[in-house]
Amino acid sequence: MLGALGGMQPRQLAAQVLNFALVLSTAFMLWKGLSVIADSPSPIVVVLSGSMEPAFERGDLLFLWNRGLDTQIGEIVVYNVRGKDIPIVHRVVRRFGGGKTPLQLLTKGDNNAADDTELYAVGQSYLNRKEDVIGSVVGYVPMVGYVTILLSEYPWLKTAMLGLMGLTVVLQRE
Amino acid sequence: MASESKISVYSVPDLKNTTDDALPNYLSSLKFKQSHYFTDVRLILGYAAVIIGGALFYFDWTLGWDKTKQWTLPAVIIYFLLNGAFTYWIYMVEKGAIFAGERDGVKIVISTSFDKYIPIYNVTVRHTTPQNQWKEIKVKAPFTRWFTSDGRFVAKPFQQFLASEIPVIGKADPGNVVEEIGRGTDKATETTASSTSMNVKINDLAGVLNHLQERGTGKTPGKGKKRG
Repeated sequence: MLGALGGMQPRQLAAQVLNFALVLSTAFMLWKGLSVIADSPSPIVVVLSGSMEPAFERGDLLFLWNRGLDTQIGEIVVYNVRGKDIPIVHRVVRRFGGGKTPLQLLTKGDNNAADDTELYAVGQSYLNRKEDVIGSVVGYVPMVGYVTILLSEYPWLKTAMLGLMGLTVVLQRE
Repeated sequence: MASESKISVYSVPDLKNTTDDALPNYLSSLKFKQSHYFTDVRLILGYAAVIIGGALFYFDWTLGWDKTKQWTLPAVIIYFLLNGAFTYWIYMVEKGAIFAGERDGVKIVISTSFDKYIPIYNVTVRHTTPQNQWKEIKVKAPFTRWFTSDGRFVAKPFQQFLASEIPVIGKADPGNVVEEIGRGTDKATETTASSTSMNVKINDLAGVLNHLQERGTGKTPGKGKKRG
């Protein structure tokens, strides 16, 4: 199969590699474009836990919007715990400050018994809206994110998928 | 040339790609000086876009969103501009060009295409005239003319097709200009194998019969080589 690559002219090979690189970079740039529009580092997230049931279930895809920082009680926000890189989707139950002082939020999962104080970093008892929150949920698609849960739970799937994608793009010429 | 490998004759893209690969070889052998201008511009546009994407990915990975934020919008805009130029170049300028070259001051650009599932090779030739104007010729032929039934490319009938139908190439290669491609010269009957039947015209039945008779009686003008 790879013999087909060996017989190619340098320019032809460069063009085939380019096709593959363009598929990857276009996907990445679309994502970044969405990031810029939503002003969020991660404008689409997948729900990883059942703590917001019945509103959201594991595998739901959420669209975030991070413009207009005056978050109200009842809004569902996604935040990153300081020092950890796992986004958490929970509802705002208290807000303090705002205006001249930085807006601070307390969140709680609908399906959890207690609020999130336990989840926050050590010594932190509320979220800083500007620094910790990466966006408010503005839309969702149920279930479709389940693939990414599978991908993160079985990391070899990622490698396999990427390799397969690369091979098909490089080897086909239609 | 590509004649060594066998391909599936039922895959039209395979037929076209193999033929496309053979065409520059043939023209280069006729002292057409190949120019890679189209390909090079396409590669530069494409790789420039990929480099911007790659750089943004790298800095996003190492520095994080907050530090790269102000560069992200310009990078995204430039990326899609380059990507747009790349697409424009492919569809509006290159238009499937597989060969660009020059010989004795005559510039020539050849693009090829096929309609989905129809095994006919469409060749569009644009070339300059002595008055320095661009002239366009469109010719086509079934792939069966230069592929044997088991999927081998045969150079001779293909070269005859090009030389006979396209005057600029015919001028460069008078030896391959024939009236009836596929059975015009001795060599052709020897190599085209099963493809001859495609080129027979109804009003030429007498000629065909003669031709068959000659073969049957062993008066074959060729060297009597075993036919595939």
